[in-house]
Amino acid sequence: MSSMDNMPRASKSDLARRWYVPQEIESIRSYYPLVLIVALLSVGLSLIRANQDAIYSSTSIVLVHLVVLVLLRQLDHGTKNIRDGALAISGIGLFLSILHHLDGPSLWIDIWFTAWAAIPFVLVLAAGSMPMVTLWVSGRLTVKAAELGLRKNKMMAMKHSHALHHLILFHAVAAVALPILWILDVALSPENALGGGFMDEITGEHFEKLISSESFWLWTRNSFIVSIGTTLLGLALAIPAGYAFSRFRFRGRDSAMFAFLLVQMFPGVIILVPYFLVMKALGLLNTSLGLILAYSVTALPLCVWMLKGFFDTVPRELEEAALVDGCSQTQVFWRIVLPLSLPAVAVTALFSFLAAWNEFLLALTFNTSEEMYTLPVGLASLISSTGQAWGDFAAASLLVSLPVVVLFIAFQRFLIEGLSAGGVKG
Amino acid sequence: MVNVTYRRVTKRYENGFTAVDGLNLEIEDGEFLVLLGPSGCGKSTTLRMLAGLEEVTEGDVMIGNARVNDLPPGARGIGMVFQSYALYPHMTIADNLSFGLRMLKGDDRPEDDEIQWRVGETADLLGITAELEKKPKQLSGGQRQRVALGRALIKKPKVLLMDEPLSNLDAELRQQMRVEIRRLHDELGMTTVYVTHDQIEAMTLADRIAVLNEGVLQQHGPPMDVYRNPVNPFIEGFLCAHLNDIVETANELFGGEEE
Ligand SMILES: Nc1ncnc2c1ncn2[C@@H]1O[C@H](COP(=O)(O)OP(=O)(O)OP(=O)(O)O)[C@@H](O)[C@H]1O
Ligand SMILES: [Mg+2]
Repeated sequence: MSSMDNMPRASKSDLARRWYVPQEIESIRSYYPLVLIVALLSVGLSLIRANQDAIYSSTSIVLVHLVVLVLLRQLDHGTKNIRDGALAISGIGLFLSILHHLDGPSLWIDIWFTAWAAIPFVLVLAAGSMPMVTLWVSGRLTVKAAELGLRKNKMMAMKHSHALHHLILFHAVAAVALPILWILDVALSPENALGGGFMDEITGEHFEKLISSESFWLWTRNSFIVSIGTTLLGLALAIPAGYAFSRFRFRGRDSAMFAFLLVQMFPGVIILVPYFLVMKALGLLNTSLGLILAYSVTALPLCVWMLKGFFDTVPRELEEAALVDGCSQTQVFWRIVLPLSLPAVAVTALFSFLAAWNEFLLALTFNTSEEMYTLPVGLASLISSTGQAWGDFAAASLLVSLPVVVLFIAFQRFLIEGLSAGGVKG
Repeated sequence: MVNVTYRRVTKRYENGFTAVDGLNLEIEDGEFLVLLGPSGCGKSTTLRMLAGLEEVTEGDVMIGNARVNDLPPGARGIGMVFQSYALYPHMTIADNLSFGLRMLKGDDRPEDDEIQWRVGETADLLGITAELEKKPKQLSGGQRQRVALGRALIKKPKVLLMDEPLSNLDAELRQQMRVEIRRLHDELGMTTVYVTHDQIEAMTLADRIAVLNEGVLQQHGPPMDVYRNPVNPFIEGFLCAHLNDIVETANELFGGEEE
């Protein structure tokens, strides 16, 4: 009590000075680990390329980053020397990164690495030489300035974290978009050119060839039959099973659920041969039905578990209320539980559809005659048989992805709801 | 209307736990009975056996003169209000109200006009006419409570069951709804069974209270009779002492102000 009262005014307002760290420095400090990770990746790339000089220079860049980070963490009042050291070493780092870049090849990935190596040094140089920071490290900051700085820090922290989010999102988008752009480029290039500049020569010949080819449409038809069939059969089995597992206690329930999980643990290749023998015995080779059966069974465990998980979140009292309102157990399911679970059902349906649409191994093994190919198998045959028709292949993969994209957009609302389950609460 | 009878009713759960033990209780036609007891004493189980949501292990549950042990909930002529309201989230309030009517079969199912009229009438009764087109999510707790009541009442049930219907409301709304529930009962006259662990709620609502402890009925009778003549230490502690405490606290506060 008394010690608080006796605290001199000066030291109370000193609080601002004691706690103030310029946000620029603070942000660089906390985001710096990202830079180190990328720098280490760059060392990895050099190792893969077995380029001795590049290994040395990238390793030294990592070390310089490390030193800069350590120095930045030491910054405080009266540490002007440390600040000056950090600036000098950042300058050296900047120089090193440019040298490293000029030394090696300059694919886009090298440019990217160089940017990640050099830009942090530039930021440190810029932030470290700001007048406010200079005042701070030389301990000449007034209390007023520190208080003002603390207030500004909040806004700046928000801006910096926004910038970081955008940076991360930019990378995510690039990771997704670049391969697609690349495929688009190949699909629109004449002949089967894989190299060449981006979009330097544009032609629709590959698309035209596909669209006018009978087998492409045949495969598309097969794929749709198999995928839709799988989805319908899978749901017809998984919905009742999931509901039963969620709501009823019966003998063998736990072991059955465990068995479902167990089946998932075997890699597909192991089941391939037995599957093949069964299909052969049933005369289902080279039929859509055979694939539908195989896919539904394969996807079933996951679908059942997903749906069970969702049914678990539908409150029991809702069902009881419906029973009191005069529903039978079946009506309760159709009129209450199922409508509430539509998002989950949609997600499950999408999952089954995609699994069937993309599956390759079983389709390749079971359906060996060309008119029973599904799209993935058909696409693969384009490459092997007619001597690497990359252009056709790329165009076809784009066309094949189209239904998937359409489905995702159509189901977007459901997907978000279904994945954030628990949205059913009254 | 009808009376309700529990005759030597026992409920044993699958794990062997006896939640209700040899319950004998008669509820008269048009009576407002409150089942009172501490948490876990078997009130909900007792009510749910009457609703048909829980199997009866031994004994008979009678509504009117019919043994209903094996009737499904929808066939018992009851309405029920749940603690969590349990409104159907995907339906509008109007559909929530009319769901029970729409589920009736054959000749029992009213014409659509009739259903609509009944929805309007029930909404009027509970003051939720303005909310009919909304979804449950858009309603406040108090309004949801009214809808839940309306849904239970719209089929004009012979017996109305309520399991702690007010426990999710704040003190003022609780008071308000308590009055409202009693008013509805007096107006409509159905036999009512109301579960609560709140002594005040029981004393103010009930024609008769039945106090349970550990699955056994301790005493039943008009609230003031039970309060004045507790038959055992449990009733004295759980009911009498508790009420006296409240009175004492109130007096202390009141007295303190006067000094
Ligand atoms: N499905 C069940 N299986 C086993 N025991 C159960 C089951 N349901 C309830 N019980 C037990 O039966 C006893 C009575 O439960 P009940 O729900 O009737 O209590 P309650 O009086 O309504 O309590 P509360 O005021 O907390 O709602 C409790 O001890 C409870 O643990
Ligand atoms: Mg209860």
